[in-house]
Amino acid sequence: MEEKTEKLKNEARKLLEKGQVCRIVGFEPGSLKFTTTPLITGEKDELDRLVINPFIVNNLSVYLTGLKGCVAVVAKGCDSRSIVSLIQDNKVNREDVVILGIPCSGIVDLSKIEYLVGKDRDELDDITVANNSITVTVGGEKREFTKSKVLFDNCLGCELPTPREYDILIGEQVAPSPALESGKLKELKDMPPEERWRFWKEEFSRCIRCYACRNVCPACFCNRCFVEETEPQWLLPTPHWQDNLLFQVTRTIHVAGRCTECGECQRACPVGIPLRSMTREMYDLAGELFHYKAGMDKDEEPLLTAYEVEEAENFFG
Amino acid sequence: MTVKKIAKKELARLLDEWSRQFSVLVPSVETGVAQMTGWQGEDTSFVDWYRNTILPPKDAILPVMEEMFSFSKNEDGYRLEMSPPDSGRQLIFGIRPCDARALAMLDVVFKQDYEDTYYMRRRLNTVLVGIGCTNPYDSCFCTSLSSGPSDTAGLDLMLTDIGDEFVIEAVTEAGRELLDKSQGMRPATADDEARARESRDIANQRVTQNVDVKKMPDRLLAAFDNEEYWRKIAAKCISCGICTLLCPTCYCFDINDEVSDNRGARYRSLDSCAFCIYTKMPVENPREEKWQRVRNRVCHKYEFYPRLFDTIACTGCGRCIRLCPVNWDITRTLNSIPGQ
Ligand code: SF4
Ligand code: SF4
Ligand code: SF4
Ligand code: SF4
Repeated sequence: MEEKTEKLKNEARKLLEKGQVCRIVGFEPGSLKFTTTPLITGEKDELDRLVINPFIVNNLSVYLTGLKGCVAVVAKGCDSRSIVSLIQDNKVNREDVVILGIPCSGIVDLSKIEYLVGKDRDELDDITVANNSITVTVGGEKREFTKSKVLFDNCLGCELPTPREYDILIGEQVAPSPALESGKLKELKDMPPEERWRFWKEEFSRCIRCYACRNVCPACFCNRCFVEETEPQWLLPTPHWQDNLLFQVTRTIHVAGRCTECGECQRACPVGIPLRSMTREMYDLAGELFHYKAGMDKDEEPLLTAYEVEEAENFFG
Repeated sequence: MTVKKIAKKELARLLDEWSRQFSVLVPSVETGVAQMTGWQGEDTSFVDWYRNTILPPKDAILPVMEEMFSFSKNEDGYRLEMSPPDSGRQLIFGIRPCDARALAMLDVVFKQDYEDTYYMRRRLNTVLVGIGCTNPYDSCFCTSLSSGPSDTAGLDLMLTDIGDEFVIEAVTEAGRELLDKSQGMRPATADDEARARESRDIANQRVTQNVDVKKMPDRLLAAFDNEEYWRKIAAKCISCGICTLLCPTCYCFDINDEVSDNRGARYRSLDSCAFCIYTKMPVENPREEKWQRVRNRVCHKYEFYPRLFDTIACTGCGRCIRLCPVNWDITRTLNSIPGQ
């Protein structure tokens, strides 16, 4: 990790010094234990704060549409796919961004550790990540977990841990993980429809419409989201569970073929709604019905803007 | 004022007793997120796991959403009906000192110049029973704001953990009355009170975040036009509503009518100055750019509010820090205002 971090700092410094980019978007240590936070800077003396570690949760491509070019961005596998998807949608010009690709061995889901050890993040003394296991020290006692227990769900079956689209690769290639179906999704699929309906009703009853799920999502790049339209008003801002559910279902459809399964929506949700079950299902459907995987090839037509007459007939029945 | 004590294993009985007069709210994760919900009897395990809720207890007084009135139209004209008032008395058990202070801060807005019936009706019917914190988060900074994990301000009763028991102290007259009437309390001994003091001292020391808030309004005023600074500070914020909607002292709301056919209802729900469409409905958003909105959140709490109402509108509860998806930390900003 230190080696990668050093390499990143050097590359970032070179880019700024040569004037190839005006800004670097990366990670620095967060203000709280075991956290990281986005660092967006054009100042060389701040580059020493850059870091790469198994806690770099954010999908930094979300900043690209706002920054409008002249930028180098740190991207894990899934993030690099989001960038490709943005390029496909003409939201980002390939020439305007330098992709600092990070081959990724999975990101630690602190909430899983909290659950496993029954303590909050700030009560843990230490977390060490090895190749296949993670050791958590809490109250002086060491506890070891296999990686699959503590990585984010979306990391478990990651299809592209090493970015395919990049300018500079920081570190060695990482092989894709064997696909694992997310436990929650399977559980939901096995439910009878009424039960599933009740499940989502309960989940969305606590949605507060903070829109963090939408705002952390690089695929949600609309200047004005449909929920904010007033003429016509598709949905009220009042957080009734029905509207909350409808908001999320619509959002999920809007990001079909754009969502790269980075899992940010679920991670950001402050009330813990398992949003990834929805996006994952949409991701699988896009694959099944249209043989489409988001953000794999920047020259491919985006799923939602390309169609063929034959498929339209089938689709609309 | 009166100081008594009660054994932790007696707690369920006490809450049952109070349930006869109040709808009692306790910390729970029953809804899938830590918040104050109705006491169901028996389960007092929150005493062990609960540090603070994610949804602030303001929700019991200024809910995320509420119906204000309903309306309908028929041949004779229009009919307007006030939505049934929550006239019942409620008791929030286990509220943290920071969140109790927050309610006092909200009161100024909802009762000073204009009295908001919806808010006030609930507020006046609410009794606050606090539990002093023994295990503050690394993101708590209440001690920087002339308060702390054992502050009793704004509470009616305060409980202090002394091991197997709680020492209970009445803070207000209403608290004293409730305490006197409650069964199963024993007087606290001098030894109990000493242990409570010790417990409070330890808790105070465990709050480690530190912000220097001296002359904050002036410092913020001086930095107000420093666009470069605010742009830099705001760069990573993604303009979601987490830090405001879940802040115990934020109160902005939006009002919407929900109409179908000939009837409908008017709702009020929380709004956020972090949203780019904030106040777009009536006019325009005066803070089109993200850095202006981030500045507003900081200045509203630490500059405008103290000037208007003589108190900083932040309790240091740290929710905005813990829950922010990009770890935007208000203490870092407050400690880095230019010209310090
Ligand atoms: S939900 Fe749909 S309309 Fe809203 S920002 Fe996302 S893609 Fe755009
Ligand atoms: S992040 Fe969660 S609470 Fe916020 S709008 Fe999305 S689903 Fe609702
Ligand atoms: S500071 Fe964090 S929680 Fe607040 S609006 Fe910005 S991203 Fe959201
Ligand atoms: S600004 Fe943050 S720390 Fe202050 S009261 Fe609000 S949520 Fe708590």
